Formats: sequence, structure tokens, C-alpha cells
Amino acid sequence: MAHGAPVPDEQYVIEIENLVNTVGANTILHRDLNLKVRRDEVLSLVGGSGSGKTQLVRVILGLKRPAAGRVRVFGVSWDDPSAKKVRDARRRMGMLFQNGALYSALTVYDNIAFPLRERGGLSEEEIRGVVHTKLAQVELDPSHGKLLPANLSGGMVKRVSLARALALSPDLLILDEPTAGLDPDRSEGFVRLIKRLREDHRFAMLMVTHDLETLFELTDRVAVLADQHIIACDTLEAVRGMDHKFVQNFFGGDRGRRALQHG
Amino acid sequence: MPSPDAALEIQKIANDPVPIRVRASGAWTFSGLKAQREQLARRLAELKNQPVDRVAWDLAGMADLDDAGAVWLAHALRGAQRVEVAPRHREMLKQVSEGMLVQRDVAGFDPLAGVVWTGQTAADSVVHLRDGISLLGQLALDIAGMLRRPREIPLRELSAGVFRAGVTALPVTMLVGFLVGIVLTYLSALQLKRYGADLLVINIVGVGVLRELGPMLASIIAAGRSGSAITAQLGVMRVTEEVEALSVMGISVTARLVLPRVLALALALPLVSFCTDIAALAGAMLVTHFTLGISPGAFIQALPQAVEVTHFWIGIGKSVAFGFAVAFVACHYGLRVLPNTDSLAVGVTRSVVAAITCVIILDAIFAVMLRNVG
Repeated sequence: MAHGAPVPDEQYVIEIENLVNTVGANTILHRDLNLKVRRDEVLSLVGGSGSGKTQLVRVILGLKRPAAGRVRVFGVSWDDPSAKKVRDARRRMGMLFQNGALYSALTVYDNIAFPLRERGGLSEEEIRGVVHTKLAQVELDPSHGKLLPANLSGGMVKRVSLARALALSPDLLILDEPTAGLDPDRSEGFVRLIKRLREDHRFAMLMVTHDLETLFELTDRVAVLADQHIIACDTLEAVRGMDHKFVQNFFGGDRGRRALQHG
Repeated sequence: MPSPDAALEIQKIANDPVPIRVRASGAWTFSGLKAQREQLARRLAELKNQPVDRVAWDLAGMADLDDAGAVWLAHALRGAQRVEVAPRHREMLKQVSEGMLVQRDVAGFDPLAGVVWTGQTAADSVVHLRDGISLLGQLALDIAGMLRRPREIPLRELSAGVFRAGVTALPVTMLVGFLVGIVLTYLSALQLKRYGADLLVINIVGVGVLRELGPMLASIIAAGRSGSAITAQLGVMRVTEEVEALSVMGISVTARLVLPRVLALALALPLVSFCTDIAALAGAMLVTHFTLGISPGAFIQALPQAVEVTHFWIGIGKSVAFGFAVAFVACHYGLRVLPNTDSLAVGVTRSVVAAITCVIILDAIFAVMLRNVG
């Protein structure tokens, strides 16, 4: 991927301009925040605890209304008067929540089939084909389809959640801490799986992560959220050279050096 | 630039060993299939009926392919011998074809299903009863332990519980009591007036409200209000593993979660019942004043003569038992919730129904036991 090259506007899947985001009545969480995610790239969002990464993702997903500024996903603002445009934009993105957010009353099969049924246009037999394809893509057996989320291990929850996020063949996948709660082996396997699926399907990715190994393995560009805005958004090499306390601690600490050696 | 919609071109060549050539182009995606959906489905279905060795597929010209398009094609391609496809789409087609081969589990007719269901339900009921008895036993032990060590009485939780289940419930229970008092008195007065037994209305309403209606109304509202809240709260704690966390820390779940709620409702319900009685009698007083011309002063004077105080104490005593039962049933169902939202919804519904049923059964038992009292 050509980093830093000028890209026409339609090449951005997410555009955030001059965002102001508040928590409660008066606390400003983000101020003058600008971020653009290109089509076909993996952009990782990093920042210290409490910097508002998850809140920023909620704004991008349209779950939280910003106090000011403009947020567009696939060129559509969440407050667009056209409900169809908003719905179509939503269906072009998938979300992998940190804890899976699977519907606990539905089986694995029904969890994955849920967005397909809601969208309509496919028969039950066609949906069955897609669900089993998705299960195979996340390396799960068709027999896992009968299980309830409560019967799954942490790694399986992540895989099912990923399968559900990819059910509508999205153009954008947003991941909130994809490897949180997984042991190193499973974490490595899950990152490999995401990498392979992305290579196969070429969707754009916005990933919030603290895990440096995941970052080094998947990322094209890194956006650093600190001091209430994005202080840098560039390639890993460029960001690592920044003279900023958070960046130096994040990449220059023991974990960063270890991840670099493995990377 | 978006890709053009999915298209299918079928060419028939006479005197050729493979006389049907099919060429797919455009975006074979969910949105790309939308415009020509019915036409494409019809043509694919026609091709599916052809012998597989007579059709050659050229899918190399497809601009895009997603799962929806792959499902459509995989269905038509089943068994196809001549397929040309771009390498980037080959893997997806292969995966979807394999996915579509997975057989659906269809449960066959089981002649013993009814017997199995009955047995299973009976066994579940026994487990349910056993769990209820064991919770009751554990609660009795906790109460005994608490009485031996009064410092362990969870006063803070208790007072919070009394406030939630008692004080905040007063507006609704008093309103319901007042309205029921009006209706009951009005209907009784109409009947009694015919026989000239107007004054008996105070006896009927007084005994009915203080002994039966007050405690029953308060308990039923408590079952719907506090009982459902208790089940939902404990159920969510089960879902989020907070109950398990208490056990792991060596803290008694019954002492910490069940006991304060049961005691709080057992304490709060008589007070709520008392206020409901007052509201219902106020409603009765209003109606007797306007329909029978009995002044409020005369009503208040006549009430103690018409109704023995025993009826009031029976009502208050029953309220204690009803409060205990409602909270106990709510806790029992709350602790049985499984870690999924469906189970939570079922648990709350069953808890309310079971609590109300339990109150009515207890009331019937009290009615028989105390038939000679008052």
C-alpha cells in the first residue's frame, strides 16, 4: 500500500473533521479531532487509557452524537435525512466488539444468520450456505452452529463475532481490542485469521488495540490519540520516531521492544 | 466507479459437444444482483436442469463477488465440469460450495417425544422444588446465624430494601387501594340499600379490606413491582457472573443477596398494606358519604364497632408472610437464571406469576387456618 500518497476524497471510508466530543455535561474528551481512513487500509487507533478511543469508535458507529464536527462513513453522515442512505452505509460495515456482543439467546448459527435475515433478499437455504461459509472462514465446524454463546470459549466467541461481523461482506471492519482476553497462542491465531480474511476480502479496517504484536502484524497506518486529538496518523515507522511522551512510552518500552523483535 | 450489475450471457452452439456457454459478468454481489434478481434466478434454474457436461461456465469476467453472489452461483454450479474462474474468486466459490453441502439437521418424528417431555418436565420440577427447599433451609440457617451475631445484620441493605419496596411503592398501592375501596363500597351499597341494611356496608368493607383486600393488593403489586425487580437484578448478576464472584470470595450468596431482600419485603409489605387499608377505607368513606349519606365522622366512629381489631392484625400478619413469599420466590427464580437474555426474560415472567400464585395459595391456607378467628 502506498502510504502518504494523495488520495481522492471518495477513497476514504471514514472521514472525521473537527470533531468535538464531550462526556457528561462539560467534560471535553476530544477537541478538533481529524481522522481519515482510506479504502483498503488497516488503520490502528492507539492511545492511553482514558484517552477516549472507545468513545471515538462509538461516534464513528453512530452510537454517540458528537457535540460538534462532522463524521461521515462511506460519505454518509449518521444524521443524514435519508434513512436508506444511512441504512446502506451501516450495512457496509461490520463491528467486532471487545466482548463479542453475541446475542446470548441465539445459537451461533442464528447469531451469524441474524444480519442476513434482517437484510432480507436471501432464502433460508442461501442463508445456510453463507452461514456455513462464514463458520468455515473463521475455522469453526458446522456443528458449532448449534451452541449457545454461553457454551463457547473466549476464542470461539471472538471467531463467531468475527463471522457475524463479516456476514454482510462489509467494506469496512471495525475492531475494538480484537485480541483482548485471549492467550498468546490464540491471540496469534486470531490475528493470523484476521490477516487472511482481509487478504481474501480486501475490506478496510479500523482497529483499536493495545497489543503491539497485533499492531505490527496488521497495521498499515497508526493514528495516535492523545491530548484530546489525533496527534499523528502515519506509518508505524514514522509514528515511532515521534517525540511525544505517550508514543515513546508505548513503542519504546519493554513491550514495544519485544514486539519489534518478534515483528 | 461502481461495477455494473450482475449479468448472465448464455450462448447456444449447435453441433458442439458442449453446446451451452455461459458467461457471467458485472458485480455478483448482493446489491449487484438486486436489479435483475428474478431474471437471473430463472436463468440459473434453467441451466441447473441441463446435463452438467453440456454447460461450460466462464466466470472470469465477474468484476466482483460476495457471499450472496457466490451462493447463487454455487447452487447453479453444483457438479459442473467446465468452470473458468478468476483466481481471486475461486477460493470464495469453493468455500461457499462446501458450506452449501453441509446438511441441515432435521429432527425426525419421535413417538416417545411426549413421554420424554413429560419425564423431563417432572424431573425439572423436582429439581426446582429441591433447589427451593435448599434455599429456604440455607435462608433459615443464615437468619439463625444472624440472630446469634446481630452485628452481621445487613442494616444498610435492609433499610435500602424497605425504602425501595415500601416507600416508593406507596403512591401506586394507595391509588389502587383507594379506587378498589370506591368500587367495592359502591357495589355493596347498591345491594344493601335494597334490603335496608345500609349500615352493614361498613362491616363488609371493613372486614374485606383489612383482612383480605389490603394485604392481597399490596402483595400483588409488590410481586409485579419488587418481585420482578429482584429477579431481574439477581438474574443480571448471574449473567455477569457477579453471583459466582461472591461465592468464590467465600461470601454466602443467601446471606448477602437473598436475606436482605426477603427481610426487607417482609418488613415493608405490612407497612404498605397498612397504607393501602387506609386508602381503601378513605375511598369507602367517600362513597358512603355520597351514596348512603353516612358522614365521615359517623363512618370513623362505626368502624371499630363493626370490625374487630383482630381482622386488622390478621391482615398485617398475612402481609409479613406474603412479603417473605414474594421476595423468596423472586430470589429463587433470579438465582436460577442462565447466562442468556432469554432465560432472564423467562425467569422474570415466571417469578411474577409464581409469586402471585404463591400469595393466593397462602391466602387460602390462612383463610382455612384462621376461619374461627375474628
